[in-house]
Amino acid sequence: MMPNSLRSPADPSVMARRLIQRAHNRDGLPEIVLGVSFLLVAGLTYAQVMLPRESMGFKAAVVAFASLFPILCFASPWVLRWVRTRYLIGRSGYVVPKPISRKQIGIGLALAVLMTVTLFGIAPQLSQPNRWILAGTGLFGGGLAAFCGRLPRFVIGGLLMAAMGITVGLSGVSLETGFAILFGFQGILALTSGGVIFLRFIRGPIDPGE
Amino acid sequence: MKARIQQLAEIDRLIHEPARLMVVALLAAVKEADFQYLHQSTGLTKGNLSVHLSKLEEAGYIAIEKTFRGKYPLTVCRLSDRGREVLDNYRKVIKAAL
Repeated sequence: MMPNSLRSPADPSVMARRLIQRAHNRDGLPEIVLGVSFLLVAGLTYAQVMLPRESMGFKAAVVAFASLFPILCFASPWVLRWVRTRYLIGRSGYVVPKPISRKQIGIGLALAVLMTVTLFGIAPQLSQPNRWILAGTGLFGGGLAAFCGRLPRFVIGGLLMAAMGITVGLSGVSLETGFAILFGFQGILALTSGGVIFLRFIRGPIDPGE
Repeated sequence: MKARIQQLAEIDRLIHEPARLMVVALLAAVKEADFQYLHQSTGLTKGNLSVHLSKLEEAGYIAIEKTFRGKYPLTVCRLSDRGREVLDNYRKVIKAAL
């Protein structure tokens, strides 16, 4: 049977990107990593709200929060590749991706700058800025998840994140609490979705080899 | 316009076949991939994929290396320079014609 990607004429590189994206998300591991990351962010954000400012716990939470993002960015692709190569090679196969191009890095940086400027440069000038920042984060994050994932479950997850962002924004909670709720929700959602996909993937039959 | 469409007649038929185009396009987007990954990603049957890989290897578009990763046997495929050149050319012709 011919896969859907070949039923319509398309640029080969677009077709390849689609196939690679589908293969990348087939085992649910990227969502599990994303879910754990979101839950860590939510937990550390909430710890900063709850703990007294002078306590060691608060300082540790601030340091962990600051170092979390770069560690996750560098470590998560490596962890994914290691787990797949070490434990799932018989199911998912072996692939060495190309290094990330400068164009992709540029797009990522441009999006991050755009989001930062919009959320922390423009939103604070509006009335009730916390509401705008929380709703904007939900909408931006949800849109990004749907655009990058390009699979129905990511689109649904993105819509839920956007809805949650708007709900949290309208609820009038503080910025930190709102972020903790938003990222916690997204973390649980990603972890659940990834867990289900991973279990289905791992329970499937192993191909005996070519 | 007519000349552009006429270019289609000179298109590389080996790469134009949908399953082979899919394999070549995939290999162009990664550094290297094994048989299992290609099988999973393309959705082709193993026999079908094997035949297409042999044809592409014969034409010199891809290089195939049999190796091991621990105890796991791997058939690693890479796009050759010739294959990359042919794919680029194919992309140009199709884009110009469409």
